[in-house]
Amino acid sequence: MEQVLNDNVYVIDLGDINTAPEIIFELSSVLDKEEVKNKRICLKLGNVDLNQAQLLSIKSLISGIDSILSSIDTKSVETEKVALSLGIIISNVSAENTYEISPAMPYKTAEELKEEIQANNNENKEDVIVEEPDLISQNETSNTIISEEAQNLEKTIDETAKQEEEIIEEKKEDTVTTENSNIQNPVNEELQDELDVIFGSNPVQTSIFDMEPSQEETYAEREELTDIIVPEQEYTKEDIELEAFPTKYIKQTIRSGQVINYEGNIVIIGDCHPGCEVTALGDITVWGVLSGIAHAGAGGNQKARVRALKMNAIQLRIANCYSRRPDSLNTVFIEKTNSFTPEEARIINGEIVVFKIND
Amino acid sequence: MTGRVIVITSGKGGVGKTTTSANIGTALAKNGHSVVLIDTDIGLRNLDLLLGLENRIVYTLVDVVEERCKLKQALVKDKKNPNLCLLAAAQTRDKSSVTAEQLKKITEKLKKDYNYILVDCPAGIEQGFQTAIAGASEAIIVTTPEMSAVRDADRIIGLLEAAEGIENYKLLINRVRPNMIKSNDMMSVEDVENILSCQKIGVIPEDTGIITSTNRGEPIVNNEKSLAGRAYINVARRINGEEVPFLDINEPKDIIGKLKKFISGLKKQGKE
Repeated sequence: MEQVLNDNVYVIDLGDINTAPEIIFELSSVLDKEEVKNKRICLKLGNVDLNQAQLLSIKSLISGIDSILSSIDTKSVETEKVALSLGIIISNVSAENTYEISPAMPYKTAEELKEEIQANNNENKEDVIVEEPDLISQNETSNTIISEEAQNLEKTIDETAKQEEEIIEEKKEDTVTTENSNIQNPVNEELQDELDVIFGSNPVQTSIFDMEPSQEETYAEREELTDIIVPEQEYTKEDIELEAFPTKYIKQTIRSGQVINYEGNIVIIGDCHPGCEVTALGDITVWGVLSGIAHAGAGGNQKARVRALKMNAIQLRIANCYSRRPDSLNTVFIEKTNSFTPEEARIINGEIVVFKIND
Repeated sequence: MTGRVIVITSGKGGVGKTTTSANIGTALAKNGHSVVLIDTDIGLRNLDLLLGLENRIVYTLVDVVEERCKLKQALVKDKKNPNLCLLAAAQTRDKSSVTAEQLKKITEKLKKDYNYILVDCPAGIEQGFQTAIAGASEAIIVTTPEMSAVRDADRIIGLLEAAEGIENYKLLINRVRPNMIKSNDMMSVEDVENILSCQKIGVIPEDTGIITSTNRGEPIVNNEKSLAGRAYINVARRINGEEVPFLDINEPKDIIGKLKKFISGLKKQGKE
């Protein structure tokens, strides 16, 4: 009925029981045992529908013996919904930790990804993909959604351009010129068409650059734009899982040969030297130079990320993706300066991409 | 195909076992042989670094032994030479993770598919050494012309003679400085050979290029201008059974020395 998955995780299988009272009865008898205490517990449930109150009582039962209900595996859709609303991770215990490593590819930088996307766009211009290498504007949804989004954007941009035109014209009438000196002259339609041909693959970015001037209203517009660029990122159970993870805080240098494994997020204040291995079910954040091997989302969480002040990792692994350091980055040692640009790695379309976090 | 399993050992640390393994392996692969390099220095691996394959290692020797992957999955192909493969050691474990029998099994398997299996031995005479020599039938003992290294090499030869399976062992004298030998500050190659009463397979001159090649992750045999690189290529050919005369490591140094003397002489004249 129950098994120890590894040192910390305890799986309780109640898949055969079909009523809620029986589950609670069985559970309380299992929880009497000494070995279940101070563990992370995975609960395996069958077809039974549990409501919020029942799930809460199960949770409190488990926390009563100093354990944590870390995840639930259930066949019932109702129970899954309730568990998600309570912030409990839904997992498939048997599938946990079974992932295959794809062939070694050097990890990409945001610039490379951008170039690649642009190259793709040139190949078929119908698919308009808007990819901003900015942190905020990154999206992971499918291309079709993005292209729709982009088309909508084009419309809104045209509208805003017209509005601008009007505003400027009005202001010209009022002979206020100094404030508007930064605003670029409205582009006439022909020019806009030409621009569309030239920048057809990337209309939004050109528009953003058009609105570069640092005036308050344009800045606001830009904010709006970036809001549109980011399609509402779906708040999936992976996000809930990441948020529900406990976090380990380590304040030391991780040296060669040292292994850090944690079923949660890891924060390291210090460097990770080559030859070390950091594995986490959630995110890995290194306040220093990351030069070892980092594996975030080791349980299969695709949204896990690796962050470091300087990303020099020999290998980066996120969930079931795996990439190696590009050979061009193989240097004898990393010069420590005061001006590191923090970097973040995450999965984009099944590949690991490293982003520089500017500003 | 039955490949030859050669262990590269020394006893003393820092004499150049790993450098020798990387260079001989690369030179053999360049000559068209299929080669596997096995790093048995678990916990202190360096061979991957010398070959510049550090970022490609996913599975290690320990993973193979503990059956987390297949042997072929753990073999990392070299960047330039498709003939050359590396079976890396785990960095996060220690020497007790692999036993002699387990390594022997691996070398037996590799023998069927590869011409040469070179085993890079860890320093010392403990378990790691015993594991490394288990599968080997030949040995190359690396030493430098220093008393401490020669003593340790002597001890190693004794252990190799006592060990089962080692049929043949040769001496490789590393980091030789002809100028120091001339001025009687260093044991000569012949001295070392006499002390150890062991046949030599190569003499490698001291070369600063080794340091740069290690840092770059590129074996020095790829640099044909380097004297040490040429010496390693000759060693590889001798391992393969060819008769190659020993390099005259004195000659180029002599010319440089003559030049230096000549220039310093000119300077003195100029001052006067």
